[in-house]
Amino acid sequence: MLLTCSQVYEAIDNHEGSFCAELLSFKHPHVANPRLQLASPEEKCQQVLEVPYDEMVAAHLRCTYAVSNHDFVEAYKCQTLVVQYPFGISGDYFGYIFSSLPIPEGFDDCRMIFQAEQQLLRKGKGKLGDMLEKAAEQLMGCFRVCASDNRAGIDDSKKWGMLFLINQLFKIYFKINKLHLCKPLIRAIDSSNLKDDYSMAQRVTYKYYVGRKAMFDSDYKPAEEYLSFSFQHCHRSSQRNKRMILIYLLPVKMLLGHMPNHQLLRKYDLMQFADVTKAVSEGNLLLLNEALAKHETFFIRCGIFLILEKLKIITYRNLFKKVYQLLKTHQLPLDAFLVALKMMQVEEVDIDEVQCILANLICEGHIKGYISHQHQKLVVSKANPFPLLSSSS
Amino acid sequence: MNNKRASCRVSHSRRRGQPVERDFRQHHNQGVWREVQEERRQESIPRGVCLSMCPIRELQDREAQNLLHRFEVLSGTERERWPRADPSGVVKEYARPAAGKDSTRPSDLRPPAVLLKTVFYLVDNIAASPTLRPWTEVYDFVFDRLRSVRQDMIIQRVSGADCVAVLERTVRFLIYASYRLCGEPLRLYDPRINDTHLQESLSWLLECYTSGKHPNQEEFQALGLLYNLGSSRATQHTMELPERIRSSPVMHLALSVSRAFMERNPVRLLRLAHSLDFLQSCALHRHLETCRRDLLLIYSHGHSSKNCRFPLHKLAHILALDVPLTNQLCQAHGVEVRGDYVVFSKTSFTEPEAGKLQCAHFHDLVDRKQRDLTVGSIIHGCT
Repeated sequence: MLLTCSQVYEAIDNHEGSFCAELLSFKHPHVANPRLQLASPEEKCQQVLEVPYDEMVAAHLRCTYAVSNHDFVEAYKCQTLVVQYPFGISGDYFGYIFSSLPIPEGFDDCRMIFQAEQQLLRKGKGKLGDMLEKAAEQLMGCFRVCASDNRAGIDDSKKWGMLFLINQLFKIYFKINKLHLCKPLIRAIDSSNLKDDYSMAQRVTYKYYVGRKAMFDSDYKPAEEYLSFSFQHCHRSSQRNKRMILIYLLPVKMLLGHMPNHQLLRKYDLMQFADVTKAVSEGNLLLLNEALAKHETFFIRCGIFLILEKLKIITYRNLFKKVYQLLKTHQLPLDAFLVALKMMQVEEVDIDEVQCILANLICEGHIKGYISHQHQKLVVSKANPFPLLSSSS
Repeated sequence: MNNKRASCRVSHSRRRGQPVERDFRQHHNQGVWREVQEERRQESIPRGVCLSMCPIRELQDREAQNLLHRFEVLSGTERERWPRADPSGVVKEYARPAAGKDSTRPSDLRPPAVLLKTVFYLVDNIAASPTLRPWTEVYDFVFDRLRSVRQDMIIQRVSGADCVAVLERTVRFLIYASYRLCGEPLRLYDPRINDTHLQESLSWLLECYTSGKHPNQEEFQALGLLYNLGSSRATQHTMELPERIRSSPVMHLALSVSRAFMERNPVRLLRLAHSLDFLQSCALHRHLETCRRDLLLIYSHGHSSKNCRFPLHKLAHILALDVPLTNQLCQAHGVEVRGDYVVFSKTSFTEPEAGKLQCAHFHDLVDRKQRDLTVGSIIHGCT
């Protein structure tokens, strides 16, 4: 116990921020050590460490104690104490150690917050999201401190902590479904001159969330850019993270007309998209509806079900293109489309709806032509009546 | 926290110099969390004991200060200088919480059973009354008194079936009002205020539904979806509901309407809208304007050609409007009408001028469903 404290002391003294961070984090094996799980470690800490580190470490140790007792609510409270300390102190002599301090690790234990949240819910206290909102408020406070730090030089500036905090805030906002709160944070980073100098890992995470937000706002082109960047620069070994990025990148790419190949889907265990992809490229509405129904739970849980439904328009376009290719004429009877839709077992569709769907495709630029109601025909342009999807989206 | 430090080197002697401060801080931090927990356990939730719709004290105060509402006055005394209160008609009004005012006095709070009785009175005797006029005044009174009921519920932390019974009627009332008063001048009815309270009550209600069994849940999930048509938040919420709720007929229909809206298929949407019941149509009606505008836009592009001759009566049928109204709608959107035909053109479509179109004129789709439904049955939900 004393050994750990002196390790911390040494780390601080030698400005080894990241080592210090490890010792105060929950990822380090030391947390499993029962001798460190103390209810009241304050005295021991005081013997070795100076204020405020002694209290910080003491709080961390109380936290390990709480976690070992599965009292996540208490653990979360202790953890918030841990992270508050570095911010409460005036930056003068403290600031230069700041940049790699425990803050990143302390907050990385977001899953502890989620666990605390679950516990509270089980006890019937508190609304869903209460604990997360409080955590978000704290993080926001820390973020403001970082963002307004104009004192220290660029090497020691608290601004380096900004992107990390933002990523944690994103995690929480997505969980409690308050995405509109992301906007000011995105603005802050966009206007920062450090934005390309943060670590790649942080930038990958950042772009992942910004990409998802863009998806939610139906800005598919920027969403594709962000998510592609995230996917390409995500480390090869983080298969799980790459898969998570793909889950959102795939629907966006499909909406822009690029279907993934089976190899990719198999590599990342995302075969749920296989049927969807096949259905969309063949214009097979029936298969699409079946595929969406079959993997509904998965798609809803990931929050992409609604976006995948938008693929219906692309599917209509592909189906109608087939009709055009079959009939080999530029004046297509509306009835032919109706027959095609009925073959796909689309419920209760009549000729009026066919006109509407076709009109919508023309309006969106997926078909070049016009409908003649008097002749009940779709007249398409002789040149490229079905432009490439990527050009018309 | 510690501004006296000059260096950061550990120094045993220096630290020992301030034991009192350190002990205090230590105890403070340790103790704070525990104290808060204790406090919460001891904190008691106010429980109302007022058995009438209005606390005696408030009734006497308002009567003495001549602040009774027209509907609360004893009949026969209206024209007197100091109208008398009708004890069976005075209802506690909404009062903003203020500093120095104790809103948790048990004698001023009505228990859940009384709150439900109050709601019934407001619906049956006021909102559904065939004689009280004008309805904008009826609405104002009921709106305010319902708000007070919700306030009592919040203070007493009412939950469960009692809460649900009150909120369901509140939501139905506000949805009905959003339709009935649509088009009234702003000084008499503000749709935005109605909307705010409707959304609040709806969110609260949907949250109540997350625990326990509630027979009307499907009805209100559907109403929520229809009222918030197009909202990704509302749609995502609906998608996350359990399968057995989503597959109920009322939800199935609401989801089909929502899908049609998301796919921008106004023809399908308007066709499905025919199958909605009266209250559902009320919930949907504010989106019909967008829907019809979308249809004219899509058709302006899809049928855009010099020789276009789209029959006006056909368009009217698709829009669920009569021919004169269809004509009016087309003109407002820059769509050319030549006799019995419409000439669509993508270049001539324009957005209507703000305020040019009055939603209230286009209510037929909803109107015809009211038939012989009484206001009371609409709000209590026994249609």
